[in-house]
Amino acid sequence: MNKILIIEDEKELRAELSILLANAGYAPVAVTDFTDVASQMREAEADLVLMDINLPNANGEALLQEYRKVSEAPVIMLTSRTTELDELISMSYGADDYITKPYNPTILLLRISAVLKRTRKTGQERLYRDVHVSSLKGTLSRNGSEQMLTKNEMLIFQFLLDHPGEIVSRDDLMTALWDSNEFINDNALSVNISRLRNKLQDLGLPDAIETRKKQGYILK
Amino acid sequence: MKLTDHLKDKIYLFIIEAVALTVAVIFLAAFKVRWEVFTALAVVFLLACVTAELYDLSRKKKFYDFLYNALDGLDKKYLLTEMLPEADFLEGELLKDVLLSCSKSMAENVAFYRIRNKEFREYIEMWVHEAKLPVATLELICRNNPDIKDRISGQLKKLDEYIENVLYYARSENADKDYIIKETPLNRAFANAAVKNREALLANGAELETQGLDITVLTDGKWLEFIFGQLISNSLKYKAEDRPLKISVTAEPHEDSVVLLFKDNGSGIPAEDLPYVFEKSFTGANGHRHPGSTGMGLYIVKSLCNRLGHSLTVRSEQGAFTEFIFTFSKNNHLKMS
Repeated sequence: MNKILIIEDEKELRAELSILLANAGYAPVAVTDFTDVASQMREAEADLVLMDINLPNANGEALLQEYRKVSEAPVIMLTSRTTELDELISMSYGADDYITKPYNPTILLLRISAVLKRTRKTGQERLYRDVHVSSLKGTLSRNGSEQMLTKNEMLIFQFLLDHPGEIVSRDDLMTALWDSNEFINDNALSVNISRLRNKLQDLGLPDAIETRKKQGYILK
Repeated sequence: MKLTDHLKDKIYLFIIEAVALTVAVIFLAAFKVRWEVFTALAVVFLLACVTAELYDLSRKKKFYDFLYNALDGLDKKYLLTEMLPEADFLEGELLKDVLLSCSKSMAENVAFYRIRNKEFREYIEMWVHEAKLPVATLELICRNNPDIKDRISGQLKKLDEYIENVLYYARSENADKDYIIKETPLNRAFANAAVKNREALLANGAELETQGLDITVLTDGKWLEFIFGQLISNSLKYKAEDRPLKISVTAEPHEDSVVLLFKDNGSGIPAEDLPYVFEKSFTGANGHRHPGSTGMGLYIVKSLCNRLGHSLTVRSEQGAFTEFIFTFSKNNHLKMS
């Protein structure tokens, strides 16, 4: 389980962020004492850091610079400052992503998993049960047989694969697709999922995606 | 300065001179002075008067003509005090003094309001950042409590949009450079804006079609995202009643520019309103039919484009479509990172 360090001084926001991350299968740890954030960051050994730029007694950008001297762990800056300049500064100090408040929670989770994937340098070739998933070629292969997936089907499958054993709502799938410039509607999503199911069936996995009424889908 | 105006202005002097001359002539006649003498005296007197007048006229004409020419040539008339000519007569000096004092006082007054304006804008920026925190928290609460999400998230999106509007209005009115122009992927900015409006778009059965957005343009990404958001929200507001909304966004690279077309199949803009849609507070016929039209959205969009140096025009046919045409120039001197 990936440990995520939350550095956010707004108490309510921090609490909700922790719930969100815990629900998404991460292990959130929050900084609550802002007197010496730098040392807490060093000692946390987090897999990823979510950090607000405006903090009491400290500036997120300066903390980020300090942190970069001792750790390579990915850092995502969360901020309500919405200028390109703020973003450029954060990125040049070594942030891996920069998200402005109020953020769409699904997008936030997408970015977290993207950053984690990128730093692990996986993502090109993954495994689902005994199926080889190649996002580069857009194929699923199992026991010598191969299925080509369209871009949309691959996005859906990868999103499900990122959340194994969890219910993924249609809303989340839709957000993920739109975020990748695929502006599909409800019907198209259903069509894409049923095509994906058919392809998995052809690979001998008829029950891979299970529908939960009014909730979403689970990749089993 | 016209000669006749000057003479009219001096008429009192001529009357006094004429009366004085007449009285002098009567005196001289009473003392039985020979007529040759007083003719000579009258001629000398008249010559002196005319000479004095001509001299006075020439120096004033030089000064005032210069002043008026300068005034005509100036785009910003208040800069006149920066180019006042030498005045070698008292009235000219007095006028210069008065103008300089007025201008100094006005400059102080303008500076006062400029500072006030800047402080106000900084406060707005700060306020917006503060206001976004509870919105962010509420978004997360919605997400963590799916049972209340449907009722609240739509309102929350609206609230966020209004807050953004204030921020970008303040930015569009501001003269400081608070943007960064760099290579920005069009599809990223558009997807961000589309995701924000996804629920509303889907609820209206809207179809989005993009073409050629996988290129970069020189712009400020945050501003462009806001601009897309405004246009999407307008398309939603003014969609045609009899058909589902369709928005198509197309980018065409050219030799020295990228042209972006944002087109919807909505109710369109009446031809007589079209020239005014970018004007502040203009609502037009469409605005009258829709509550919540402030006439600010397109004005802000246009101001932001002006500040970023993008040209923006609009085409429309009532009942058929509205199309916004952006031109992003490819200027290599501006290239960064």
